[in-house]
Amino acid sequence: MAYISAASTISHQPTFKNAGFSALLEVLGESSALINPEYKEYIDAGLLRRMSKILRMSVACAKECIQQAEIEQPGAIIVGTGLGCLLDTEKFLNNSITIEGLLPPTSFIQSTHNTMGGQISLSIGNHGYNMTHTQNTLSFEHALQDAMLLLAEGEENILVGAADEHIEFLSEVAHRLHVYQEKQLTSGASFFVVSNEKTSGSLAKISDAQSWGLVSNVEDATAKFLKDNNVDLKALDLILYAGNLSEFAEIDTEKCIDYTDFSGIYPTASSFALHYAVDSIAQNKPIRNVLIYNALIKNNLGLMLVQSLEA
Amino acid sequence: MGVRITGLGIVSAIGLSVAENLASLREGKSGIGGITLLDAGRELLVGEVKISSNDLKEQLGTGAGNVSRTSLLGLKAAREAWGENEHSEQLRTGIISATSVGGMDRTEHFYKDYLAQSDPDFTLLKTHDSGNTTERIARHLGISGYIDTLSTACSSGANAIMLGARMLLAGKLDRVLVGGSDALTKFTIDGFRSLMIYDDQWCRPFDESRSGLNLGEGAAFLLLENEKSIAFSGNKTIAYVSGWANAADAYHQTASSPEGTGATLAIDHAIKKSGIKKDQITYVNAHGTGTKNNDLSESVALKNIFGEQIPAFSSTKSFTGHTLAAAGAIEAVFSVLAIQNQMIYPNLNYQEPIAETGLVPIISLQTDRPVTAVLSNSFGFGGNNSSLVFTGHI
Amino acid sequence: MDNLKEDLKKQIIEQLNLEDITPADIADDALLFNDSGLGLDSIDALELIVLLEKYHGIQVTNPDEGKDAFKTINTMAAYVQKRKG
Repeated sequence: MAYISAASTISHQPTFKNAGFSALLEVLGESSALINPEYKEYIDAGLLRRMSKILRMSVACAKECIQQAEIEQPGAIIVGTGLGCLLDTEKFLNNSITIEGLLPPTSFIQSTHNTMGGQISLSIGNHGYNMTHTQNTLSFEHALQDAMLLLAEGEENILVGAADEHIEFLSEVAHRLHVYQEKQLTSGASFFVVSNEKTSGSLAKISDAQSWGLVSNVEDATAKFLKDNNVDLKALDLILYAGNLSEFAEIDTEKCIDYTDFSGIYPTASSFALHYAVDSIAQNKPIRNVLIYNALIKNNLGLMLVQSLEA
Repeated sequence: MGVRITGLGIVSAIGLSVAENLASLREGKSGIGGITLLDAGRELLVGEVKISSNDLKEQLGTGAGNVSRTSLLGLKAAREAWGENEHSEQLRTGIISATSVGGMDRTEHFYKDYLAQSDPDFTLLKTHDSGNTTERIARHLGISGYIDTLSTACSSGANAIMLGARMLLAGKLDRVLVGGSDALTKFTIDGFRSLMIYDDQWCRPFDESRSGLNLGEGAAFLLLENEKSIAFSGNKTIAYVSGWANAADAYHQTASSPEGTGATLAIDHAIKKSGIKKDQITYVNAHGTGTKNNDLSESVALKNIFGEQIPAFSSTKSFTGHTLAAAGAIEAVFSVLAIQNQMIYPNLNYQEPIAETGLVPIISLQTDRPVTAVLSNSFGFGGNNSSLVFTGHI
Repeated sequence: MDNLKEDLKKQIIEQLNLEDITPADIADDALLFNDSGLGLDSIDALELIVLLEKYHGIQVTNPDEGKDAFKTINTMAAYVQKRKG
């Protein structure tokens, strides 16, 4: 169980500093663009000049979350990323293969997956637990499980989030490998503050989060997950899903929304779905139980049960 | 508090198994030498694993498809750690691996062809992402469910062990393979060269004349089990993971703070977690990369914690090279072997203490004292600092 | 010499991605690694070594050597001239 006391997302939708955005979402057009905030309001110019898209998004969301939660320092910083810092990785790889002489080191330094976590800790002077999970489409679910484990161990106010950035090269790869043709590949970052305590600032609660790699039967796994949490499939007010839901005969399709219609496709888009769920619950009282069903990749299943504070 | 370690597996520049690694450590035989398998475009000293990817594929029976070298090395070590264990419906088995380069060795191959526009094979990229590296290992071992990858640069392997121990204690898993794997790549070699911390001579951890690291490659895994799992497997406990901690230095993107802030926090918290007193630590397997900055900062942190009573310490990176995300796991296996075999390994290539701190590492094999508790340090880019404590008993 | 200084300023801005800064903002004697000047750090120092190789064909093998050379635009220009002989 984790209470969410802050949530912040930068995406192709008007999500940033915009409570109630869940009611305003429109299905992404073919050439939608990332909606960037004024990063200078969040990040020191000296740091900003080196930061790629994924770093800017992550640090801005993290700082916005800390302000929202009204905490001085989070107890830990946990990040999920499916593909990491692609811009810097591509840049250094290119240099490494094409330049004979000395190579500029900045893109190498910033190519490691934990650059987001490191830059957040550096930006706010945080000395706590700092972790980065990278398990393709389940990276965010793993980060969240780590955060919930830390809460159970007694830690408080954990900053947990996820980010992935799109580069043009990815679209070329998708085209050549014939995957994800039907939707736009996008960038996005979502961060949250989670805690053990319900406070006046709490927005919603995450009752459970789990993930299965190389999953054999998604229907069984989902049924067990709901049963363990004493929630009936029929009691769900909203199912935010990615991938295929066809295995579930009993589901009322009117309650189901493919969140990738709004987020676009990136490995950690389920973190967008979590913010979407939290915003829906906080703004729309009849919604009490939301299941986030992440089967963006067939072999991987991520489930999150998000509930209103009263549920 | 502690979690049982019941299986070990390792592949590094000094051997393709636990037994081979132990023998090299005993003989003081470094695995660092000229580069032979990877085309890095230049001569340099590396800790290569002395077997080609094709031979590994054949040996491991992975079939003809694309498998990254990081997966192959990882699978080789994970298989040894897993041993003859059997699967059971009653046991929740997971795997947590660590990698920093993932399938970069295959991606480099692709990218050269891509830039040259000479019919690049896009399917090679399917092995690029770090999560895929772990999934490949899991698939071959028949593990499904909790499959996770950590990537926090050079502390990743230690973090995988820490997370596994926490998952077991929280009752989320019954047994878990934890470790890390990284293959040598041109990307990382060029990267450390661009930082001007790649030594063209043998790396000299904790020596006044040190001037950088030699990269290495390898993988190591440990099998952790709870009581329920032991009741099923009947495995003997080799040692325990007793303490762990991770802390952020929050000082600089790559450099460690001169005060050793993050390192001191990690060491202090890990020892406290283990429940033993700091004077009970018999040996410190240091991060000791051989760079000016790391070794000084780590020495300061050791002094912060232990004062004048610094335990015997050495860096085994003088044997293996710096294996990045695998380093924490490889050195965890070395730490457990130190307890199991009552030995402390020498820090090779050392001559003179660092002027600022004056610390002297162990420089010849020690077998004359009981080794009961070992502290293993792993520090990474982004100020990511982790420490683990291993003990023979709890 | 003045041309060299102007070139160095442009190259620094480009190499270090100093958005919002123009050559006119960098005084010849401003301390590059001090917050009163450009506030550069050790990563920038490495980038400046790359810059010297890329634009001026000068190789710096010991990063410590760069420390004195990179104090100000004046010292950098003097270093470049000396190395080019």
